[in-house]
Amino acid sequence: MLLPEKMCRILVVGSKDKLKETTELLYSLELVHPIDYLEGDEGLVIGSPFEEASEVSERLLKLRAMEKDLEIDEATNAPKMPLSDVVKGLEDSVDGLQTQVAAVVETKNQLSSRNAALEGEKVLLEPLTSIPLDLELYSGYDNLTVFTGNVRSNPEAALNALGDIEVFRSEGGEFVAVFVASAKASEAQRILVTNGFTETALPQGKGSPADLIKRIGEEQANIAKQLDEAKDKLSKLKGDNLSLILASDEHLSIEVEKAEFPLRIATSKNAFVIDAWIPNKQSEVVRSALHQKLGESISFEIVEVKGRKEEHHEDTEHDHDIAEDTTPVKMTSRRPLARFNGFTELISTPKYAEFDPTNVIALTFPLFFGLMVGDVAYGLMFTVLGWVGLKKARSDDWQTISTMLFFGGIWATFFGVFMFGEAFGLHFALRGSEMTWSSLLGIDFPHALNLGGVSIPLGVFSKLDDVNKLLLISVWIGIFHLFLGFGLGMFNLTMRVGLKHAVMEKFGWVLILLGMALLLPVIIANIGNIMGTDFGSMAFLIPLAILLVGLAISLVGEGPLSILELPGLLSNILSYTRLTAIGTSKAGLALAFNMIALQMLAPAGGIGIVFGILIFMVGHLTVFMLAIISAGIHGIRLHYVELFQKFYLGGGTKFNPLRIVRKHTSER
Amino acid sequence: MVDVGSGLVAIGAGVAIGLAGLGAGWAEKDIGSAAVGAIAENPKNFGRSLVMTVIPETIVIFGLVIAFLLMGKI
Repeated sequence: MLLPEKMCRILVVGSKDKLKETTELLYSLELVHPIDYLEGDEGLVIGSPFEEASEVSERLLKLRAMEKDLEIDEATNAPKMPLSDVVKGLEDSVDGLQTQVAAVVETKNQLSSRNAALEGEKVLLEPLTSIPLDLELYSGYDNLTVFTGNVRSNPEAALNALGDIEVFRSEGGEFVAVFVASAKASEAQRILVTNGFTETALPQGKGSPADLIKRIGEEQANIAKQLDEAKDKLSKLKGDNLSLILASDEHLSIEVEKAEFPLRIATSKNAFVIDAWIPNKQSEVVRSALHQKLGESISFEIVEVKGRKEEHHEDTEHDHDIAEDTTPVKMTSRRPLARFNGFTELISTPKYAEFDPTNVIALTFPLFFGLMVGDVAYGLMFTVLGWVGLKKARSDDWQTISTMLFFGGIWATFFGVFMFGEAFGLHFALRGSEMTWSSLLGIDFPHALNLGGVSIPLGVFSKLDDVNKLLLISVWIGIFHLFLGFGLGMFNLTMRVGLKHAVMEKFGWVLILLGMALLLPVIIANIGNIMGTDFGSMAFLIPLAILLVGLAISLVGEGPLSILELPGLLSNILSYTRLTAIGTSKAGLALAFNMIALQMLAPAGGIGIVFGILIFMVGHLTVFMLAIISAGIHGIRLHYVELFQKFYLGGGTKFNPLRIVRKHTSER
Repeated sequence: MVDVGSGLVAIGAGVAIGLAGLGAGWAEKDIGSAAVGAIAENPKNFGRSLVMTVIPETIVIFGLVIAFLLMGKI
């Protein structure tokens, strides 16, 4: 539970004609994490895909093209489909469906291009509408040249001066049609050019341009109708066959993946070799499954059971690269601990020979979250919100956040009742002249709970009045948390490279931390009067000695750089004061809103009560939202930055066995 | 009536947290923009980016602690 699952490396060897059956079996076991074969000099080559691979890929490609036409993407949801129906559908109806869709899409494309052509014609006809001539009159002359186009200035006077000429201008004057005797055409053209003439092409056809435009409009309306029909047809096809299409896609993808599995393994002319990791505990399951299904024709061998100790290759650097640990990591923590896996994954997968930090996060992260919130009302709200999230949320990210809210909320409620005794930033029990729930509601909340003679205090600290005490508590929490971190660091190092290394690397720091911790009371006692400290007392000298011994060990173990890390450790400890600081700042905010709502607005009566309630609700919602962000981020940060640095390496390879994940198909 | 000394202590507390906040913000802005870039490249970087981004936040906590200690003197 504390370490990733123990793995063993296996070799499965058999003749090629059994490869397909073997592949099917390995996929169904969901226990085998294959090691992709890289071609080397052993005389083996990477396998080639099963023969159906190309046909299946081609079908998948066509299917995907149709999906694009129908605007289906991965996120589309549809009811699951039984596998037998999918196989039947692939045989019977998918090809027909593809033809149907292709036909509709083809029609749609033709209509669209016709529409674009009409649009172009319309643009050409538009300027001609303001000239009272039919289209056929613009062409077919022997001795006349016709110019049509746009001008920037008016050429009419100059053109008319030429004689043998007829000029038509549109209402705005920017379009002209000029009919000129061919003999004077070049002269007319020169005049036109000086007036900024650009020629426009003449559309084909007969009749008045306005009529033509009207006819084009009618045709376009008709096309739009047909386009709508085509779209309706497509969406109907999509609606009727969505399940089948998604399920077929999934089925074919799975088939392709399986058919391409030989690309990941080594083969010779007649045999195959699968090199893989499996959980050590399940090695017998895999062995017996292989032998039951395939008999003695398959050889199964456990090459090594992977230990946690690092192997040291003392040869070349090249070897060292290969020694990089790629043993897959299967996290073993169970629920509810496993719910916190997301927080570990957010940083990195643990290494194979490493304590799974999820265990620590699951214990102390909700605790820190609760301590920073420390309020019954918020705590209960977080718990409910988290519970709803755990039930409803689908994505892993939301599940992780809900986990934080639920467990953090429980601790927040706990601290809210026993440590701070407050809800919505107001204490329950009477505290002098302070506004509390007791004074507000007129109910006398007790200061302590009497259980069979044992008095359990309800509300020991006030977040705003006892800041110094709380700061000290948070420093102590930090010291213990860091002890835990160094302890885990020693555990990891002992496991990986042996006790001696662990002592040299981490024990020095444990002593330094111990020295600092023991010095803390001395510093606190003399704060504000440093000069008056009795530097000769045992209370000062013993911790100092421990600290120096620790520093000496670190200097030997890690070199002179460890001196530079000393202030780092101090700032790590002080960093935990945020546990108090965030609680206090939120208490201050809540107090401000409570004063505005309950002391300033509500007593005014009438509209004041309405505004009071409004301010109360909006204010506390703000504090609540801020609590998620600040308590959540700072709580997890204390783990990632302060704690993990002491022991966590990460960078492991996640266990990813051969298996089939079905979203749109069901095997039954 | 509060005496001048207490007033100065209070100002000191305010300055401590104010400047610490400015410092933390200044330090965080560059990391933050780089972190957003890294996440845009690959969303898997979110965790590490978050860690990097919040590292300077400790500065402001130090300021806050000093402010509390100072306020204790009034």
